[in-house]
Amino acid sequence: MDACKSNELNLEPVNSDIGRRQFLKVVGFGAAAIAGLRMTRRTGASSGEKGPHQWAMVIDQGKCTGCGYCTNACRAHNDVPPDISWNRVIEAGKVGDKTVFISRPCMQCEHAPCVEVCPVGASYYRPDGIVMMDYDRCIGCRYCEVACPYGGRAFNWEAFTGPNPAVPTWGQPEVPRRPRGVPEKCSFCYQRIDRGLALGLTPGVDKDATPACVVACPVGARAFGDLNDPESNVSQLLKNNPYFRLREDLGTKPRVYYLPPREEVKK
Amino acid sequence: MSLTKPPVFLKPFSLWVASLSLVFFVGLIGIGVVFTKGLVVTNLTDLVPWGLWITIDLSSIAMSAGAFTLCALVYILGLKRFQPLARTATFVGLIGYSMAVLTLLLDIGRPDRFWHAVVYWNTHSVLWEVTMCVTLYFTVLLLESAPIFAGLPWLRQRFPWISRRLSSLHHLAPYLAVVGLGLSMLHQSSLGATYGVLKARPIWYRPDLSVLFMASAIAGGISMTLLVTMLSGRLSPRVKVNDELVEKLAYAVGWVLVGYLYFRFWDALSMTYTYAPGRTEGLQVITKGALSFNFWVGEILLGAVVPILILLNRRYRRQPILRMLALALVVGGVVAYRWDTNIAGQLVLLTYLPNEIVARYTHYVPSFIEIITGAGVVAYGTLAVTLGVRYLNIVDHSLEVHAEQTSAAPAPAIGD
Repeated sequence: MDACKSNELNLEPVNSDIGRRQFLKVVGFGAAAIAGLRMTRRTGASSGEKGPHQWAMVIDQGKCTGCGYCTNACRAHNDVPPDISWNRVIEAGKVGDKTVFISRPCMQCEHAPCVEVCPVGASYYRPDGIVMMDYDRCIGCRYCEVACPYGGRAFNWEAFTGPNPAVPTWGQPEVPRRPRGVPEKCSFCYQRIDRGLALGLTPGVDKDATPACVVACPVGARAFGDLNDPESNVSQLLKNNPYFRLREDLGTKPRVYYLPPREEVKK
Repeated sequence: MSLTKPPVFLKPFSLWVASLSLVFFVGLIGIGVVFTKGLVVTNLTDLVPWGLWITIDLSSIAMSAGAFTLCALVYILGLKRFQPLARTATFVGLIGYSMAVLTLLLDIGRPDRFWHAVVYWNTHSVLWEVTMCVTLYFTVLLLESAPIFAGLPWLRQRFPWISRRLSSLHHLAPYLAVVGLGLSMLHQSSLGATYGVLKARPIWYRPDLSVLFMASAIAGGISMTLLVTMLSGRLSPRVKVNDELVEKLAYAVGWVLVGYLYFRFWDALSMTYTYAPGRTEGLQVITKGALSFNFWVGEILLGAVVPILILLNRRYRRQPILRMLALALVVGGVVAYRWDTNIAGQLVLLTYLPNEIVARYTHYVPSFIEIITGAGVVAYGTLAVTLGVRYLNIVDHSLEVHAEQTSAAPAPAIGD
């Protein structure tokens, strides 16, 4: 153990030192060298700094009926224009004679391609794992859209004006509308989480502190909670059920988990 | 340096300038529409968010690569005789980068926040690195072109002290060449890496893209410089061109193309083994599908094979028309490569459904507004280079001799 640790400690500075020296020698100016080094190293912008909560969502495909309430509730609470879905519900084949759906919010990846590629750092990780968008910083280059393997982002090709058809039937907007020229995406309803925590509520348990899609689901197919709390419903669901995540081969480590449909659900 | 020229020359020249101005003006109207109505006027979608403008942006940067290549040749490798070509390349580069910046301003959703790219840093992002390098290199190009602008007759007469200051910047040339080489090598290849790092797009996700973007940029950039040089020499009687220099460099372009084709061959061949979802479909779109004509004819046959045959054969190369044709084909081939690369990764998408990672196809044809604004940007660049040839002597292979004879004179003051 000790030897291993010291090895790691020794290697780090030696590596970066050699890298820097070579860069300086070859390229001849320091700024570019440091830039090149920093790009290859995981620094502050990564999901390294983890807070006390690690939010995750579990969606039970066996229960999901594809009704789309989640999408509608999301539209109202986040004031999403009718032509954009932060949470898409897609048909994903059949198990037996039952149609199976995939409900796809933002995956809130632990290694999010969108965060990695954003040139201005407008996409970033919150300590609780939520991948956030700073709509005031974004320049609208759409690199994040190109990089996202889940199609989780939608660009505001034009300004969303006029009333939102999902309001008030499905709820009231809790966040400002995004301007023209920036991409937008699901944020796990961070505004509900933050406000709920401030009021002493527990996200995933108390409705007012839980993402709108989870609250709206009529069949209880969605669960939300803290992975750091072993007693939370998401921790328990993941402990007691087989689960999968989308495109795990990419190494993005999504925070949205799916419980696959099972035979007994069919009956 | 008198501005009066035979009317025989003036007439087609003014026609040329007038038609370019017209296209540019129509483009300006288009730019106005884009800025007021937003990107909804484009045919870009959430599935194909990068289209014609990105291609123009990438191509103008590639066509500007002659600047760093020739400056490195002259000031680092010490091949001083190519200095007049470096002068042309520097100006072409300056205009090319300004075209890229203009197109990017159009393309980003929030052009009012363009400065965010310099102020807010995400050092993980290749695009951040590209932005930084382009900004810095644009500054380098401005400094490198200062002596060219110093030669403007109006400036020399009205503000001789400014002219003298600007031309004295020429002493920085060797240092600027080193900085320019570093910055260019970084971002010319990083533009390929912008695509190459995206794991979500299998046809892009490979390290070769940065190498290929670099190699093709060198070939395309030098070709563009030589093409501008030769065209100016033929179209304007007052432009003196040392054809021996052009021919030597054109020969070098032939070998750069051989290297580029070699890399491309192995790059493409390595993708044909085994079925990889998305990548195989992407390769098929390029070799058999919507982009196959662009690829086989535009990029490979006309963009590389034919120019190689012309440029590496002394007899063909010595014929100015054939040489110009070859250089123009190289330029076209590099543009086709940029278009195909950008669009291939977006025409084929992978689904994210479990157990069903399959390719889906999208479609993109640029909208009218995208086309006229793109044409406007290209017209602006062509116009700027035309005026540069006419009033700034950016192509003049007699300058060097002059400067050597009267080194004290502030006049052209480019050579040393």
